[in-house]
Amino acid sequence: MDRHALHQPSSSSSIPATANTVWTDASPLLEVACKDLRDGELIHVDNFNLYAAMSALEIMDPKMDSGIVNRYCSVDEAIEDGVAPVPISTDKTTDVQCVIDIMDHLLTCEATWHKGHSLAQTVFSCAYLLRPERTSSHALLHSYCKVIRATCKAVITVVSDARTHEEEDLFTMAYGLPLSGDGDEKCLSLLNAVEENISRQLRACKAPSSKRKPLEDIEPLQTNFDLEEGYCKALLCRLRFRKHFFHVLTCMRRPQGRGLELARKHIASCISELGVILKSAEFLMSNAHGTCEDATEDRTTASGHQAIGFDASLNSRISAPTPPRSIKILSWKKAIEYFEKLLHDLDIICSYPLDPSLEVLLRFVAQFQKAQPDLVARAHLQLLLVQDGKLYGKCPMFSLIIRAARLPEVFLHHDIQKNEYVVQLGQLVINMLKILCTNAAWQRRKLGKILQDWRVIYVQIELAFRKDFGEGSSISNGDNASARILKHILIWVEEQTYWISHRFLILGFELELYSPSEYCMVYWYLYVVLIRLAEKTHLKMTVSDGSGKYTSTSCMFCFQGQWPELRSKNVCVV
Amino acid sequence: MEQVQEKQRTEEFDASEIEYVSYGGEHHLPLIMNLVDQELSEPYSIFTYRYFVYLWPQLSFMAFHKGKCVGTVVCKMGDHRDSKFRGYIAMLVVIKPYRGRGIATELVTRSIQVMMESGCEEVTLEAEVTNEGALALYGRLGFIRAKRLFRYYLNGVDAFRLKLLFPQPEMADRDYTQNHDDHSPREEYSELHRHL
Repeated sequence: MDRHALHQPSSSSSIPATANTVWTDASPLLEVACKDLRDGELIHVDNFNLYAAMSALEIMDPKMDSGIVNRYCSVDEAIEDGVAPVPISTDKTTDVQCVIDIMDHLLTCEATWHKGHSLAQTVFSCAYLLRPERTSSHALLHSYCKVIRATCKAVITVVSDARTHEEEDLFTMAYGLPLSGDGDEKCLSLLNAVEENISRQLRACKAPSSKRKPLEDIEPLQTNFDLEEGYCKALLCRLRFRKHFFHVLTCMRRPQGRGLELARKHIASCISELGVILKSAEFLMSNAHGTCEDATEDRTTASGHQAIGFDASLNSRISAPTPPRSIKILSWKKAIEYFEKLLHDLDIICSYPLDPSLEVLLRFVAQFQKAQPDLVARAHLQLLLVQDGKLYGKCPMFSLIIRAARLPEVFLHHDIQKNEYVVQLGQLVINMLKILCTNAAWQRRKLGKILQDWRVIYVQIELAFRKDFGEGSSISNGDNASARILKHILIWVEEQTYWISHRFLILGFELELYSPSEYCMVYWYLYVVLIRLAEKTHLKMTVSDGSGKYTSTSCMFCFQGQWPELRSKNVCVV
Repeated sequence: MEQVQEKQRTEEFDASEIEYVSYGGEHHLPLIMNLVDQELSEPYSIFTYRYFVYLWPQLSFMAFHKGKCVGTVVCKMGDHRDSKFRGYIAMLVVIKPYRGRGIATELVTRSIQVMMESGCEEVTLEAEVTNEGALALYGRLGFIRAKRLFRYYLNGVDAFRLKLLFPQPEMADRDYTQNHDDHSPREEYSELHRHL
């Protein structure tokens, strides 16, 4: 331990005493204790061991102590120091330019947050967001901040409702942050008002001077007439993007997928506005106030200027009690790419026709995951698939199982759905669907674990079947309906178990878990699993149709589904 | 935890000049700390080092060249869930001029040897997915990639959980034929035995 760190002079404490606490300098006491200790000795209470000590943070070590690396003790101190002026400039043109920079930088912070960094060090590194009441005199900044806060809150709600507890633990941490600003729900009406105003300003500057009536004397956006059109357009696309994006989130949250079609329209608008935002860069860079600081690909604003009002260390004291993480804010271009991908992935989800067939659904999810969608998209998918314990909030698990087991629809209301094992099976299906929406690394581990549960439920149902119906394995029409249902379900449970095994094995390739020397082994397992899977599918079809007509097609169908992946690895399975 | 192993320009020395020493006490601690602090990005407090070297001094080794500490490995072992007795390699460092000459492999091997003799059933560690050197080193020793851990490190990089399974007594009776079709990971365990 660096003992010199303790030889700090006891400066007059900048921490004022309160009703319950008085601060005193403990350095002299610690010095005496240190002199007395020999190398390797540790002062500790009885139940504190070396293992616990590993989680200890060394105070005043910048690598560990998040609280040490800040210029300001609090946000208010920073604001007093002029970090976030309102308005940003008395010159309206400069003010507009700076607001656009803030909007751009917020977009990059938002994308960085989505990618897995803390909200406190990204979006809420913006001092304007941290003190909502301060911006009320600046309509443009105020409405934009409101919609950002409301959007973040909506996204956090989606991710925490999905509750898969994978990488989103850091994502949803928002204590101490003003996520629910006063009146943020009305953010859209404020935004619309501002948008309307700027639209009028745009129309006004484009109208030939002869047509401009004195009564329609609208105050222009900023002072330089030649730049009015460019700045109005630059602002409008950014405001519209936020409006449509917020709509996407609200539409997608509507229960039972009722808002998906409308969401697609807003997604299309978002993508279109992003295109306009990208094009605005040329105008903004060439008219940036002062010299252009950064024209490189790393810049976080379209203009290349550093945005005013941001300081990642502002929230260091309310950050998690872990060592400071290095945050590299995404570049502006990369942020736009991120949102384009996110919107594209959300669009795929919105265009899914909510098929009641589990087989179709599983294929859709597997295909969707190939594009490696990020957390926000995956959380949306999961919430669409599983709502109130039902598929898409409408189909009970039992009906899903009946259809998947290829039983006739007449059994959809059979009492056996109340059987404890059938209910449990429904829970396993829900759990499996949720797992299939998680990231590949997490997904594979969880799929490996649930194989055990699927085997156990098979055994339990089989035992119940034997107990109630004896050893007879023949099924004929007019026989006991419960027996027939259970028999079908048993076949389907095995088929599904093999499907999970197959996915477990295939994910290993995507995650690069297998070395080439292991491929033969993996392909051997895949071969065995696929043969069994095909057998079960075949059996399921013949038992339900009572004829051998579909045999060869079903086998081919199974293999064709999985074969491309095997062939793409250039290995021939025996 | 972390491993560092990249091929770079090497210092001229003969392998016999490297002296391998088991952790001997407090005087070795600053040597280990300096090496690791220099090379690895995750911040470790002194307590982290003390936890490992105090409780399992027999598992940590250092490599010296002409009196200078050029490499170290820090490990632990203990009961894991499923009551498996498991070894764990926490840190492995060799300074740049000495890499690519088998020092890290030797350090790791010595530690694994002690683990095996102490009754461990398996050894694990984490390594960044981008750390090709470490992945190659452990791959050669027979470690498999058991899991991938999403964004495991503070800088957001994924990690592999690497695992080496020691052959268990009940396997000793199995017939290891030299059949080409019977290509299984068990062949690599035998290699490790021969190497040790």
